[in-house]
Amino acid sequence: MQADTDIFSEHNQLARPLAYSVAFHAAVTGMILLAGVVFSRGSGTGWGAGGGGDAMGVTLVSTVPLPAPQVQTQNVLANDSKGLTKSQPETKAMEEPDAIPIPDKTTKVKPKPVTTASKQKPPAQPVEETNEVPFGQGGPVSGPYGTFSSGGAKGGFGFQGGGGDFGSAYAWYVRVVQQKVSQNWLKYEIDPNIHQANRVYVQFDITRNGQPTNVQLEQSSGVPSLDQSAIRAIQRIDTFGPLPPDYSGSKVTVEFWFDYKR
Amino acid sequence: MHQGKFQLVIHRNAKKTFLNRAGDARVTLFFLPTIRVIAFAILLAVVSLLPATSQAQDWIRTGTGLGVEKVRLAASDFKPTTQDPNTGALLKVFNDTLWNDLDNAGIFEMVSKSFYPTDVPGNPAEVHFEAWSTPPPNASMLAFGDFGATGNSLLVHGWLYDVKNVGSPQVLGKQYTDAATADAARTIAHKFADEIIFRLGGGVPGIAESKIFFVSDRSGHKEIWAMDYDGSNQHQVTHLGSISLSPRISPDGTRLAFSSLTKTSWEIMLYSVELNRLVSFARVGGTNLSPTWAPDGSRLAFSSSRGGESNIYIADATGGNMRRLTSDRGPDVGPTFNRKTGAQIAFVSGRTGLPQIYTMEADGTNVQRVTDQGYAVSPSWSPNGQFLALAWFRKYGPGAPGANDIYLMDIASKQWVQLTHDGGRNDFPSWSPDGRHIVFQSSRSGSEQIWSMLADGTKVQQLTFSGRNSQPNWSWK
Repeated sequence: MQADTDIFSEHNQLARPLAYSVAFHAAVTGMILLAGVVFSRGSGTGWGAGGGGDAMGVTLVSTVPLPAPQVQTQNVLANDSKGLTKSQPETKAMEEPDAIPIPDKTTKVKPKPVTTASKQKPPAQPVEETNEVPFGQGGPVSGPYGTFSSGGAKGGFGFQGGGGDFGSAYAWYVRVVQQKVSQNWLKYEIDPNIHQANRVYVQFDITRNGQPTNVQLEQSSGVPSLDQSAIRAIQRIDTFGPLPPDYSGSKVTVEFWFDYKR
Repeated sequence: MHQGKFQLVIHRNAKKTFLNRAGDARVTLFFLPTIRVIAFAILLAVVSLLPATSQAQDWIRTGTGLGVEKVRLAASDFKPTTQDPNTGALLKVFNDTLWNDLDNAGIFEMVSKSFYPTDVPGNPAEVHFEAWSTPPPNASMLAFGDFGATGNSLLVHGWLYDVKNVGSPQVLGKQYTDAATADAARTIAHKFADEIIFRLGGGVPGIAESKIFFVSDRSGHKEIWAMDYDGSNQHQVTHLGSISLSPRISPDGTRLAFSSLTKTSWEIMLYSVELNRLVSFARVGGTNLSPTWAPDGSRLAFSSSRGGESNIYIADATGGNMRRLTSDRGPDVGPTFNRKTGAQIAFVSGRTGLPQIYTMEADGTNVQRVTDQGYAVSPSWSPNGQFLALAWFRKYGPGAPGANDIYLMDIASKQWVQLTHDGGRNDFPSWSPDGRHIVFQSSRSGSEQIWSMLADGTKVQQLTFSGRNSQPNWSWK
């Protein structure tokens, strides 16, 4: 009997610590799991692979303020000023100086037909003026208009002010305007669903210190995002550089149009 | 793609092994006080000690409709007007400097001098428009002038002509006088080049008179040095005999902020370029690194570990009124202000493990991550506020090929483009004031040196050659 009670009492003593032990281990396991949840930050993914940020892998940032080489060529005449340049005229092959022409055996001198007074020459055809510039006499488009194209989209502009000859007197300034606007036109702002749109006209003034002011939409394209991108292209520009110092006016007005197609 | 651009890359892989960059990070390891900063430094040091392999490729870039063509500019040698014995040498300095400045501007296609007519124009009456505007020169712009040294003085006239516009050709006419020294001749050439670039570059001032500050160890200690933008006139600025890092010149060009090692810690220091001595800046304890100026010059942001964790702080230009901007876990370092607005700060944070670039408002709100992967450090905000230049290991980790290269990211659209390739470790990009150039540190020549390039990755050239030179910073104007 004595042994039985001993065994029984020992068994009774073991159950409680066992329960404590199980509870303790469960608590430790729970805490480890909990710590894993609480203190985990960027486990694995933080090591450079994915996660966070939304940078896009696009190979081109188109608006680096540097002129990029233009491979595309387009002859777009803004007006009928001299604009197209002609290629170098072909040079005639020189005859060798010591070549002696072989006399033809049967050369006969044909008598010249006698012209009578009654026969009259047909009236000379009026020579149509071309807008081609002969080789070697090239120059910029001399009119006040210019165009640019950038990535399938096109823009153009006209200058007003200075008695209308601003564009011809300060062709270099016109070029600067063209360059800066085309650089600052961010075409990713345009709704990607748009493939083609009507021409949008934007008008603005350039003050003497070169700032664009008074930017307004003259004619909408019907696509709000395209209108906005055209206006922002102008607004994004701080300065075109001061107007030419010998230019007398206080401002020039520029009308700029954008054609979008992709 | 609506840009209508395509890129053709021809691979010819060749493995190269480069020397370790055992530089700043390893030095800092011995002095950093807090455990977390030490951990971050160890990470940086490990990265700098990894044997770098990079793949060399032949690149062909081509595309359509990429923009506007460059202006064809001819710059004829100036015509000597005096028989002074000095004239010849000075004129050569002048002509070379002018040509380099215009060539480096990035907006001109320079017409080679071998195409020029033999009679050099010295004044407007001597310009034969036909000879310049037609092939072979086929220039649209011509820079010319005369140059005379008499005794101690120098008289230079310079013109810029639109030779295809015979009606009103003159774009620019300038006269300069100065002492008859090589330095003065170089300065006049810089000034005239800047005028031309200002006119034809759309009102963006030229950078010919800007300076680059950098860290060099050629005196035995890492001190701050300065040079002209083209690498000439290199001279030592600080003489502290300690270790000085991350120089940042103030927007007005008068004060230089940098971090330097004192007896107890890394502190931000301020050096007056005008007074040639240190001026006061509060020393706050902890490790204070990589200061950056707000565009108005009134505030400085920097990283400090005074609160235990390395975080971004902002303070007045004297170091007073210091406030903490970030309060996350993980170290935040390397702040840079949006140079156009001053309203945002980009910085590097290790909060998700490897360092990534984040942006936030200048009051610490609206934190956004901009890089999506890899190991991205050293952000530098462009002057027009549109781009971040950064050093990026896009594929980082064991077994991943790749190199430490300079990238450009458009902040609004998060489009990025890689600027450097197959050339060692490239780090610490810094923008030129005109936003057309980037100066950076590269180990492509075998040791750490300063290089510069156009912001489209072309025209890469080495600026420093002796000692080890790192952490360049381009002045604001």
